[in-house]
Amino acid sequence: MKTFFGNLLAIYRRELQSYFTSPFAYVIAAVFWLIGGLFLVTILLSPNGLIAQVSIADQQGISAQSYDVPYEFLKIYLNLLGSLAMFVLPMLSMGLYAEERKQGTLELLATSPLTNWVVALGKLLGVVTFFSAMLLPLMICELVAFSSSQPVFPQAVFWLGHAGLMLLAASVLALGMFISSLSESTVLAAVMTFGLVLLLWVVDAISSLPGPVGEAIGHLSLLTHFTDFTQGIFDTSGLILFLSYIILGLFLTAQSIDTLRFQRS
Amino acid sequence: MIEVDQLSKVYGSTAAIKAVSFRVEPGEILGFLGPNGAGKTTTMRILTGYLPATSGTARIAGKDVHTDSMAVRQSIGYLPETPPLYREMTVEGFLSFVARIKGVSAGDRAMKVASAIERCNLKEKRKLIIRKLSKGFRQRVGIAQAIVHNPPVIVLDEPTVGLDPRQIIEVRNLIKSLAGEHTIILSTHILPEVSMTCDRIAIINRGEIIATDSPEHLVERLTGQGGYQIELHGEEAFCIAVLRSVPGVVKVEVISAEGESLAEGHRRFQVTTGAGVDEAVGSAIAATVVNQGIGLFELSRSRASLEDVFINLTMQEPEASASDAIANVIPDSATGPIETTDAATEPKEAIDAEEAEIESEETEETEEASS
Repeated sequence: MKTFFGNLLAIYRRELQSYFTSPFAYVIAAVFWLIGGLFLVTILLSPNGLIAQVSIADQQGISAQSYDVPYEFLKIYLNLLGSLAMFVLPMLSMGLYAEERKQGTLELLATSPLTNWVVALGKLLGVVTFFSAMLLPLMICELVAFSSSQPVFPQAVFWLGHAGLMLLAASVLALGMFISSLSESTVLAAVMTFGLVLLLWVVDAISSLPGPVGEAIGHLSLLTHFTDFTQGIFDTSGLILFLSYIILGLFLTAQSIDTLRFQRS
Repeated sequence: MIEVDQLSKVYGSTAAIKAVSFRVEPGEILGFLGPNGAGKTTTMRILTGYLPATSGTARIAGKDVHTDSMAVRQSIGYLPETPPLYREMTVEGFLSFVARIKGVSAGDRAMKVASAIERCNLKEKRKLIIRKLSKGFRQRVGIAQAIVHNPPVIVLDEPTVGLDPRQIIEVRNLIKSLAGEHTIILSTHILPEVSMTCDRIAIINRGEIIATDSPEHLVERLTGQGGYQIELHGEEAFCIAVLRSVPGVVKVEVISAEGESLAEGHRRFQVTTGAGVDEAVGSAIAATVVNQGIGLFELSRSRASLEDVFINLTMQEPEASASDAIANVIPDSATGPIETTDAATEPKEAIDAEEAEIESEETEETEEASS
């Protein structure tokens, strides 16, 4: 057990270090922050933003108290961040294994006393940590913007929503990691992962259809469950779904690396 | 230390290695020699637990590489063909990472990393990022990562490929310095490398081990019957008769000199001598020839170099089994044209002298006389 955590920590630290020393990762983070910040400002302050809407309602004599700006903001903003993350995540996950395969370092990992699971889990934790580091400044911005809002900023929704976003990201990254393990090309991995993300959107669209098909698909849709989280609805089935996707991604990755070694010619 | 028994690996319908067996004793350096695609890398990958074998067993320090994979991986240091380096890490950081995943305890780690850096002469580069290192230094970092956890067994796949001659010498010396304490297998297709660094050689071709022996023995085995090359001035039939009359001579052949114009009346012969009498025959030939009034222009001993052995062994038909392979090459083994010459009358003197220098390693002795 001790060696398990030792190995996990080693892989995790190396993975994290590779993000923090890579100029590419900083570019991705910068773009993410720029667009994320832009969303934040636009939702609140643009001519038809939330604040403008409230003041219009106020002028029309409707009580502003009935309009919960912080809650509405979180709902819209988290969904937008979720969509933005969908573009960013494939670029974070693309190199997880493809780069190792290309540089030959997979051979080092595979001939070290490590199991495939430890490597996959360590890598996933590393990339999830990097994504949360990307999310952190935006969270601080939100907290600052609503520090003295009236009605009071809904802390529970805030944390739950961002936890949901992290779970969504971890699920997509886990699947992206599997895709990355299939090829030596990071570009191919990114394109294929983006294809997967598009599929998630399609699934989400189908799930909004009425009828048993839509309902069944809706249970499996990551984005539908994420939307629940952003509305402050905590649902264990959502949590289990996200965890299932993460474990599926880890399992497929470990299997794929095993297969790679067994069939390599 | 390393026992490989009847190891086979099949990819689809093609066999990468077939029934490979060999042993390496503790502290020994085994050179794995073979042309590209002979199965060297496959064998090494099986040994290090990267690939499973289709059949057969490989044991390292008594542990099976497949069933006891984790323990074996801990006791092996492996340098693949392309050194597995994380380019964004510093030399020290990378080695520390490798030590960690190889299971070196936290207390020993700093000491072991420092000792690997020391042994591979990386001291002044240890804070540098690997991306910025030259190929030679990267290769050294590759070797350092293979020895950082002080494994009893080290497997090096083509450790000197792509290096400049000075770096090659450094790497060879480094490998030699590791022997004794560690058991080493290294693969290469460069011949001088094995003869210089290895205690024993396993020659592999088309997935089969065709010979395992020390470099000296291998050459000896294949040149049990020695030979001489002679350039004479005289009538062909007479020359042959005279050469045949020398005791110890088994066979005399006329060599048709390709691309080389001999002076008028000069002829070149290949003399094959019986096993064991090789040494004495040279002077006997010289004396007899001169006594018979034949002009002797050149007499050089031909001996198969390791290169000839290698080429002979690996050029065999695939059907030939290992023992056949050895037997078959013996008659041809002495045909390698290795010569030094005085050739006083020849215009090619300068060129030959140069060749002589280049090939001096392979030429045992030169006897000369003139009529």
